[in-house]
Amino acid sequence: MKPAPFTYHAPTDLDEAVELLSELGDDVKVLAGGQSLVPMLALRLTAFDHLVDVGRIDELRGIRADGDALWIGAMTTQASVERSSIAAGAVPLLSRATPLIGHFQIRNRGTVGGSVAHADPAAEYPAVAVTLDADLETISVRGRRTIPARDFFLGTWTTQLADDELLVGIRFPVWAGRTGFAVEEMAQRHGDFALAGATVAIALEGQTITRCSIGLFGLGSTPLRAPVDGLVGARPADVAGKEIGDAAVAALDGVPSDIHASGEYRTRVGAVMVARAWASAVEEAGRG
Amino acid sequence: MLPVAARYAGSRVQRVEDPRLLTGQGTFVDDVVRPGMLHACFVRSPLARARILSIDVSRALELDGVAAVFVAGDLNPDVREPWFSTTGKDVPDTPRPPLAEGEVRFVGDPVAVVIARNRYVAEDAADLVDVEFEPLPAFASYTDANGANERIHDGYAANVAGQMGGGNGDKVRAACETAAHVVSETIYQQAYAAVPMETRGLVVEWAGGELTMWAATQASHEVRAVASRLLGLAENRIRVVARDTGGGFGQKTLPLREEMCLMLLARRVPAAVKWIEDRRENLIGAGSARHEHGTATMAFDADARILAVAIDHVQDVGAYPTPWPVGVAAATGLLFPGPYRVPLADWSTTTVFSNTVGRTAYRGPWQYETVAREMMLDIAARRIGIDPVELRRRNMLGADDMPYANPNWMTYDHMAPIQVFDKAIELIDYESFRHDQEVARSEGRYLGIGTSSYVEPTTAAMNHYGSEGATIRIEPSGAVNVYLAGGSTGNSLETAAVQLAADALGADIADVNTIQGDTALTPFGAGTGGSRSGSMIAGAVAVTAQILRERIIAIAAHRLEAAPEDIELADSRASVRGTPAKSLTLEEIARIAYLDLGSLPPDTPAGLEASGRYRAEAPVIWANATHVCTCQVEAETGRVTILRYVVSEDCGPMINPNIVEGQIAGGTVQGIGGALFEHLAYDADGNPVSSTFVDYLMPTMAEVPLIEYGHIETPGPGAGGYKGVGEGGAIGAPPAVINAVADALSPLGVTITRLPLNPAAVVALITEARG
Amino acid sequence: MAEMEIEMKVNGRSRRAVVEPRLTLADFLREECHLTGTHLGCEHGVCGACTVLLDGDAVRSCLMFAVQADGAQVTTVEGLGSPDALSPIQEAFRDHHGLQCGFCTPGFIVSVTAFLRDHPAPMVEEIRSALSGNLCRCTGYQGILAAVQAAVSDPAPTTG
Repeated sequence: MKPAPFTYHAPTDLDEAVELLSELGDDVKVLAGGQSLVPMLALRLTAFDHLVDVGRIDELRGIRADGDALWIGAMTTQASVERSSIAAGAVPLLSRATPLIGHFQIRNRGTVGGSVAHADPAAEYPAVAVTLDADLETISVRGRRTIPARDFFLGTWTTQLADDELLVGIRFPVWAGRTGFAVEEMAQRHGDFALAGATVAIALEGQTITRCSIGLFGLGSTPLRAPVDGLVGARPADVAGKEIGDAAVAALDGVPSDIHASGEYRTRVGAVMVARAWASAVEEAGRG
Repeated sequence: MLPVAARYAGSRVQRVEDPRLLTGQGTFVDDVVRPGMLHACFVRSPLARARILSIDVSRALELDGVAAVFVAGDLNPDVREPWFSTTGKDVPDTPRPPLAEGEVRFVGDPVAVVIARNRYVAEDAADLVDVEFEPLPAFASYTDANGANERIHDGYAANVAGQMGGGNGDKVRAACETAAHVVSETIYQQAYAAVPMETRGLVVEWAGGELTMWAATQASHEVRAVASRLLGLAENRIRVVARDTGGGFGQKTLPLREEMCLMLLARRVPAAVKWIEDRRENLIGAGSARHEHGTATMAFDADARILAVAIDHVQDVGAYPTPWPVGVAAATGLLFPGPYRVPLADWSTTTVFSNTVGRTAYRGPWQYETVAREMMLDIAARRIGIDPVELRRRNMLGADDMPYANPNWMTYDHMAPIQVFDKAIELIDYESFRHDQEVARSEGRYLGIGTSSYVEPTTAAMNHYGSEGATIRIEPSGAVNVYLAGGSTGNSLETAAVQLAADALGADIADVNTIQGDTALTPFGAGTGGSRSGSMIAGAVAVTAQILRERIIAIAAHRLEAAPEDIELADSRASVRGTPAKSLTLEEIARIAYLDLGSLPPDTPAGLEASGRYRAEAPVIWANATHVCTCQVEAETGRVTILRYVVSEDCGPMINPNIVEGQIAGGTVQGIGGALFEHLAYDADGNPVSSTFVDYLMPTMAEVPLIEYGHIETPGPGAGGYKGVGEGGAIGAPPAVINAVADALSPLGVTITRLPLNPAAVVALITEARG
Repeated sequence: MAEMEIEMKVNGRSRRAVVEPRLTLADFLREECHLTGTHLGCEHGVCGACTVLLDGDAVRSCLMFAVQADGAQVTTVEGLGSPDALSPIQEAFRDHHGLQCGFCTPGFIVSVTAFLRDHPAPMVEEIRSALSGNLCRCTGYQGILAAVQAAVSDPAPTTG
């Protein structure tokens, strides 16, 4: 189980990186933390003539407040997010999702940008980005652009990123006020990809929901936002978590089936995960 | 044999293997490097069944760094006699060509082998071997293959490799007609496998007319024997070395087809060749296990006493099983009555080929008998309306029943199953769990408890398993070396040998070393398998040490002017009873034996070296155990959480309780994996769908319970009274877990007859029961 | 595909080599440095047998290329103790029968070393969760868990 040959490039700044990506055409792949890409190379499920390792570009690292958002550099490791008190305070959902990613040895190498760009539909970070309406900042020789997370994911392992385009950082909006966030997932074993997972973010004013968002993962070819019709303006006490869960999965189709679980199971458990996440997010917001 | 004071045997002696293994200083097969060594990679079939139209190796050969590419036509004609000692020469074994000839029969079937400078280049070249296949209809499912006209192998009509049976069907049917309760179910067990953390591997080196192999194996001498037969090369021209082997669990008992290829090609390449199986190859090509179903029937009288049992069993053996699988299947039928008083039994077994990877030995190969029986007893208890523990108590054999001939003429002895069972029930505090369960149910939580009891024939003395040799050398310095065939794959045989030899010689354990696994140095032995090593090496060490012990005593008595019967051996010192000041160290005695021959007593030979061979004293040594598991099932998600796990067992006296408990725990967790997580699965076209560790799910530390132990000691009929304990955990665990889940879900009307119980399966069972 | 020159410190010793970019760090350690204690159990980042410390962090050495570790400090199991001088964690594994075949053991030793350094007093559930990224097929994890708990409750002599 050894990768096919490739040429390795390790640019040290963004300009050099995008130049390389532009020059090398379509047989190039960006190497971030490598925790998903390297196994695929080792299994020879994929092969590239060129790998551009962006691990030596300092501009791609960092966690900092940026107006009403938190900016995280694409090459920031998951372990750095896990340890970051800034992230925990500003975007609790991201911090809470982090320990669910693989194992600590994986999180020491795996990166925020790598996880998002890899776009595994059962992964946590893409779901968090979609749930919170994060903005993804990219760069190429053609310039910089910002892609809303909800537009970014096209399918399993497929995104809006062009072959010559690099994810630079992600801006996660910071929700102010009395908020609650929760992530719940069902995995067969500790650290496995979720069979079904849900993220919930809500904000309250008084006893009224002023803002809410529900994300689903492992339940389609991309992370999804569940409809939240009628929830804004309602009182949490008046809505049942089970009904929210059932409504969240009601319109799903193409839920994946494999040896681990049928689509029917994933859908049913997805509803349970939504209900649980809803309950704990509401509980947290109520305390705020 | 004189009784020997046990100072080390029976205690939790630290392992001698550990310092090297803890520091990365072990020598596993992948750590072996030879001058100019080349590396092998197999080209494997991507199709479950296809005709091979052509193989073009020219592009691969052109690649820089490629030394050779071999196909079936190159290697297969060299095969002389491909048979295994376990099966014997005369059994008509199932087909096993080194490389696929004409047709591929499963995804992963080796078609060609590339030899190159390193594994990276070998994989590059393997991708360049062009094989033209014509797809053929494949049997991904053994149940479809069973009885079909289309044949997987010529000569096997209906795709049946063999059938056996007990012939009591009419009697059992008659008993069922008048029985108060008859329970019958078909129970299906999924495929799962040994999956040692170290995959298979072999280094072969042909030089000077001799073949040397470094192997990951449970049985070096069997690897040598297979090579000798395969190549027509004298055994004294072959050396097999196994130092550290990273787990085997049956998978490394016998060389499989890839290893045969390596043996065959060794003579055709200019340097040593290393083959290290990668994990995907291991999961698609190193063999499957379990995967069988059976229709089990049990008849009870009005008091819930068993009147008769029967099992009609069908097992999948894939395309190329190793070893001959038909005989092993018979054990499933013969052992189905288990540790119970069963007056009448019938069994049949059908062994069926399929277009999937071949069945290989795995820790308790006949385990299905326990799975089916113990699941059935719980199903029966619910149908009859009796507590499952009470049902077992009414029927289980005790020490007073021994010897006991089960209805299939297996004669049990040296066991106390009901005492072992009662100990388990006491440890788990059954009554108080039932109370907790009631409370939980009233709160809408599903707790369950399951038991599983089995009897296990360990240390079977058939064929080459019937004896074990040892050589012990006390060197001129007094240092002791114990030479044993070994075959340890984590089962601590080095430590056990050192403990046993130190006791037998009265030596300080620090003075004793052991050398195992090298056929050039060690006496012939069958290696690890069938839970035989503890008893057999104890016997081999005992008979050999006895020769030296007598010689040591003779030298000491002569030199100390005492009667031999007054000489005591302890702490590497011979002293005169009652006069401890009169003593000689082992070093001084060894010096006399080798360097000061004039001080030897008359008639005592020079040197302190002896070889002995122990012959098993009984055809099998029976061990038994009861597992008890409690769990909580989350009905919404199907998640099963194990709460407590008790194993009460009788493996006789323990050489080292740490080792015994380690074997039980490891086997038990493999069984938990088999009940809840592991599935070596294929899709409908015969494609393996659990070919990586992302999909083949073994338990991690986060999923396993603490295991609590109960030990009952009934000495067995062999050296030291020791019994086998390697396989039992893997046999007993799955039904205990399954029964616990079934018990938890019993208020919902769930009956479990299909495995594994992954979360989706549990939810499906609940949904189905709710209608 | 050109070979590249790299240099890194392995167990405190400088190692220089010219390697193919595709050579994994694990293979570099095993083949170029002859440090065969780093084992390959799956080569796709699940089993944890190849775990090493990279600039102090526990990582899968099968999931990175040696060229990525250019300039880094790597510690393998060989750098944590020797047969005559086991580390306290290695001692605890020996005392509690935390290994059988020993194949997964180096990965556990390295992972536990990093974990206990960062979490000196973990609860049992934290230990279970942290070590769920290392697979063992022999022990059923019983001895490993006992060893880690013992290493926690029996702290090593304080080091600077």
